[in-house]
Amino acid sequence: MDFSSIFDYTLIYATIRAATPILFAALAAVITQQADIINIGTEGIMLTGAFTAVCVSYFTGSWVLALLAAMIAGVVMAMIMATAHIKYKADICAIGTAINIFALAITKFGIKQFLGTSGSFTNPRIIAIPKIHISIFDSNKYLNGLLNNWSLMEIFGIVMVFMITFMLYRTVWGLRLRSVGRFPMAAKTAGINVNRMKYQVMVISGILGGMAGAHLSIGYSQMFTENMTNGRGFMGVAAMFFGSANPMLAWIGCLLFGLTDSIGGRLQAYGWPSQFVLMMPYIITIFVLTVSLWRKSVREAKIKSSLLTEQL
Amino acid sequence: MKSPNKYINLLLTIVVSMLIGAVIMLMLGYNPLEAYFQLFKGAFVGKLNLGTTLQKFVPLLLTSMAFVISSRVGIFNVGVEGELYLGALAAAWVGFTFTGLPAPVHIVFCFAFAMLVGAAWASIPGALKAQWGVNEVCVTILMNYVAMFITSYLVNGPFSAKTGVPQTPAVAAGVKLTQFMRPSQAHTGLFIAIAAVIFIYWLMSRSTLGYKFTSAGLNPLHAQYVGIDPKKTMIRAMMLSGAVGGMAGCIEVLGVYGYFLDNFSSGIAFDGMLAALIVKSDIKTVPFMAFFLAVLKSGALGMERYTGVSKAIVDTIIAVFIIFATMEALFTFKKKHKAKKEASAVTGKEDQQGGLNNGF
Repeated sequence: MDFSSIFDYTLIYATIRAATPILFAALAAVITQQADIINIGTEGIMLTGAFTAVCVSYFTGSWVLALLAAMIAGVVMAMIMATAHIKYKADICAIGTAINIFALAITKFGIKQFLGTSGSFTNPRIIAIPKIHISIFDSNKYLNGLLNNWSLMEIFGIVMVFMITFMLYRTVWGLRLRSVGRFPMAAKTAGINVNRMKYQVMVISGILGGMAGAHLSIGYSQMFTENMTNGRGFMGVAAMFFGSANPMLAWIGCLLFGLTDSIGGRLQAYGWPSQFVLMMPYIITIFVLTVSLWRKSVREAKIKSSLLTEQL
Repeated sequence: MKSPNKYINLLLTIVVSMLIGAVIMLMLGYNPLEAYFQLFKGAFVGKLNLGTTLQKFVPLLLTSMAFVISSRVGIFNVGVEGELYLGALAAAWVGFTFTGLPAPVHIVFCFAFAMLVGAAWASIPGALKAQWGVNEVCVTILMNYVAMFITSYLVNGPFSAKTGVPQTPAVAAGVKLTQFMRPSQAHTGLFIAIAAVIFIYWLMSRSTLGYKFTSAGLNPLHAQYVGIDPKKTMIRAMMLSGAVGGMAGCIEVLGVYGYFLDNFSSGIAFDGMLAALIVKSDIKTVPFMAFFLAVLKSGALGMERYTGVSKAIVDTIIAVFIIFATMEALFTFKKKHKAKKEASAVTGKEDQQGGLNNGF
């Protein structure tokens, strides 16, 4: 077995490629988590986005419209969640799960109704999100492998990380949002409309989740399959936990997932039992979740040791 | 969540989601009355149809119960699917390996090992949640994938029947549960499941263990005060939940298939979870809801065959149903608003327990 063909320079782009769908999902989870809403529904939002993107791209032949439609679909799903959770007091885990199931059912239904097939849909008429090709890099093997043919969304994803970091930590809105997440009662006292804030982040989360889906179906691939997100939304949530709701750290988490995913794919080519390789990202996610919360509990125990009150 | 209009809410939810389904069908140019008629005909009329409904009811009943048990201690256990898979494989392994045993001992051994494996698997997220407050929804969802990959590896590799299909060798004929409603696949596992559910009901509502579960779930601090270790109780509840999930898998293998087939479940446990979610984990109504979902699921085939309405629309109706059902305050009328608000202030706190632990 040849390790140099697994760990070479192309792994860098492969990692980013595999990480991007998770990254958008992670950002969608980060922004709601800052308002203390754990967005389990990311998976469903993403799936709806993916389906809408493929549909619109197939029927209109425009990836811009497809992307917009996916974002709108994501927002609709997010708003169902937000209304249920904020106005009608639904448990966020329950409504999130419900949204995931709803997305699965409605896309299964839609693929049959609108695309006239079942299971999987692919067609040359699906227009993909363009890739950026810079012909100057063609001559150099390394530059070509590293910097060429990036999908537009892969670049935009990285831009979004910085944008959201800026929004959260450098703007008044971000400060208010974080205060809503930390201590809603205090935020209310300070005159912040907590519910409006929560609706706002859910809308943003829907946009990001829709983008994640669109990237998955018309950027990363050019097809739609039943349940094509296949846990990527949850991995996004896990990456959010990994980075304790900080967009930058969550990005690192996503890259880690991307790395295991691409190494896994390469190991598989060498005849390792594919199941073990495929389960790695999930196990790593559980491990990362555990370690990050373990660290958090240790930290909190240290802070609390000076106080007399014991909290469970 | 004891509110007097609980059953009215449930009924309203059913009616509203059926209406939404009807509207969707109308918009697509189908006749909803005809579709619903075929749906119920496909679920009840004829030995085959009724038998299929009963066969689908068994795993739904057990998996919904598994979800209810864990929700007693405030754990949202999405991992029943994984427990079901591992339990099923464990039962199949015992079934085709120890063929020399007398049949009754062998069956008991199958069930015991399946439940043990399920319990062990479920104890992992339980322990992580109890110890460090790791979000159990995330962990159990991810562990489902791991369980599926493990079974898929074993059934393709070491335990393969080597027939080209990813399945284990058939279990010994003696351990197979009798199918009593041929040509359907309804089997005696139904009675085992009902007995198990009655036992669980007794355990949850009448025994010390059930009391411990409830008190640890409602108020861990109080539980600790009266001498119940909330962490241990949490893990125990998860193990019981996992055992029931494993049992569901075991019954599926011994009753329906006779061997373990890769990816056989296709989300049975998720449907079970839905049944529990709709009735908000109320242990008395869960079996009926599981039955209702089994009816919808088995009738959907007939509906698709005779009216052309896609089976997926039934899934959509169920999903809409759940979205409405999760909304605590939806069908609360203005008059009762105040009383409800106080009630939800109490129950709301317990619901958010997990969320608060994870707030940053």
